[in-house]
Amino acid sequence: MYKTRRQLLASAVALTLAVGSPGLALGAELEKAKVSYGGSAWLSHYPVWVGMKKGYFTNRGLTVDWKNFSTGSARMASLAVGEIEFGGAGSISAIALMASGTKAFYVLAAPDSYATVEGIITSSDIKTVKDLKGKKIGVPFATSSHVLALDVLEQAGLDPNKDVTLINLPASDTPSALRAKQVDAVATWTPAFNTLKAQANTHVLLDAKEFSLYKQYNLGPGPDVLIANRSFVDKNPKTTTAFLDGYFEAARFIAENPKDAAALLTDLTQLSPEEQLAVLKDIEWIGRGEQQKIMTAGGSFTKGLQSLAELLVRYKQIDKAPKVDDWVKTGLMQ
Amino acid sequence: MKSNVAVTDYGAPERASSKGKAQWPRVPKLAISLISCIALLSLWEGVTRFGLVEPLFLPAPSQILNRAMLMNDQGILLGHVVASTWRVTVGFLLASLVAIPLGIFLGFSPLSRAVFDPVLSFLRPLPSMSWIPLSLLWFGIGESQKYSIVFMGAFAPSLLYVMEATKGVDPLLIKAAQNLGAKSKDVMIEVILPASLPQILSGLKVMLGIAWTCVISAELVAAREGLGFMIMNGKEYFQTDTVVLGMVLISITVMATDLLFRFVEKRILPWKA
Repeated sequence: MYKTRRQLLASAVALTLAVGSPGLALGAELEKAKVSYGGSAWLSHYPVWVGMKKGYFTNRGLTVDWKNFSTGSARMASLAVGEIEFGGAGSISAIALMASGTKAFYVLAAPDSYATVEGIITSSDIKTVKDLKGKKIGVPFATSSHVLALDVLEQAGLDPNKDVTLINLPASDTPSALRAKQVDAVATWTPAFNTLKAQANTHVLLDAKEFSLYKQYNLGPGPDVLIANRSFVDKNPKTTTAFLDGYFEAARFIAENPKDAAALLTDLTQLSPEEQLAVLKDIEWIGRGEQQKIMTAGGSFTKGLQSLAELLVRYKQIDKAPKVDDWVKTGLMQ
Repeated sequence: MKSNVAVTDYGAPERASSKGKAQWPRVPKLAISLISCIALLSLWEGVTRFGLVEPLFLPAPSQILNRAMLMNDQGILLGHVVASTWRVTVGFLLASLVAIPLGIFLGFSPLSRAVFDPVLSFLRPLPSMSWIPLSLLWFGIGESQKYSIVFMGAFAPSLLYVMEATKGVDPLLIKAAQNLGAKSKDVMIEVILPASLPQILSGLKVMLGIAWTCVISAELVAAREGLGFMIMNGKEYFQTDTVVLGMVLISITVMATDLLFRFVEKRILPWKA
């Protein structure tokens, strides 16, 4: 009798493990066991990298194949044609792709917020935005920093086309251009932003908290979004859910264990553990629980994203504001 | 005996039927080109309009035209064309001004050629884009940086064209001039330059097209206007119509400059015309 009871107990434990362990249970049910993710060394991709290293995807029966892309537009084009299933992107790229009319992708989540690692840095004699009148500003065009520059100039009553000269520079070239006095100010993001911030003779004129939509919706000029190929998500909802589960487990791990996460990320970013930790400290991770709340039609993120689209139209960066809600997919995270 | 080979108005021989079959009507070349263009554009418009190809991947010709009209209304279209054309013109002229005399000199003097050959062999394979980091450090982010990219992309190949053209001059002409007492400088200016000029101009015509590819690289960084900038910015915003419009404008501008080049060539080399 005792033996039988022990056997019963063992069977119950085995059954619980089989049901409770996502790897065993979900793995068998996933429509696809392998997906590709388009990433880069940018911070919004950290959860996927950490998730791969920590086995948060394989635990769920899902293999993630990391594909590196140097530009967001190439990553999004690849996702739109179905070469990769998931990817991270800046919201400006996502809105631009929506404005092109393609419905090939979904926005699944808004994983992070980093308003303090992006901004405008100037030589020390420029104290206010109004002081930028008549000056040259180096800006990576078609990026969040570009939108930030247009927005703060407008807030200060300056015309970006007449009162200042905006010069298109890659973010990585902004420190050398400012140091060489080729420009009077730069709008840029980390790591260039942090590099310049640490230098003498320069100062942070403003960071992304000055962006008009940040004041209204707590939304930076180019919040990151997690995107997925629409047709893949429609056909493979369980795989998508498994991916999201692994993704947010990794994001939570990064938020709770920044030192351990930094050690895992140095392979990707080539930063030192100390530099990596400093970058991690500037990121606010938006947890899985909050996603459903902010991503719904009336949610703060979706409303902010819509306002950002309208802002892009006003700044003549896109022709027509898309109804962003049509691309946002909720309900996959339980 | 009557020939059974007819010649169309555009010069291609056409075999006439000897058994009384109906002959193809003689159609002017221009009309054929026009018809093929219209057919291609209609097909292109059709596949995009009926949703066979998404506009993101291939915008319809009408969409590209709309984009052109919109940018024209905004007053920015001509600015892009003028900015790129000016950069090409300055960079290309500078490259030609250095490459023509230097190329003639190197073509004429085997010793100098031996001295310069290693440098030329090093410079020749370098794509214009590889000069961007150095040009930014040397010339900053202004217009001279853009000219320098076009210059570096066009200079080495132009120099080679000129050298080869010079080497191809009939040695008898040079010998005859020297026998008549001409000095090296006179031989170069009075004999080699006129004799090699047709080939030099043909080479420069090719180089003008290459200079246009260089300007796209030049406008990747620190530009706020120009066709290269327009294409790259359009790419970032997934405005494929802007990208294709930029490509079309480059082609049209190159065709226009080519016509201008031919006109100049006819003036300089009337015997070639």
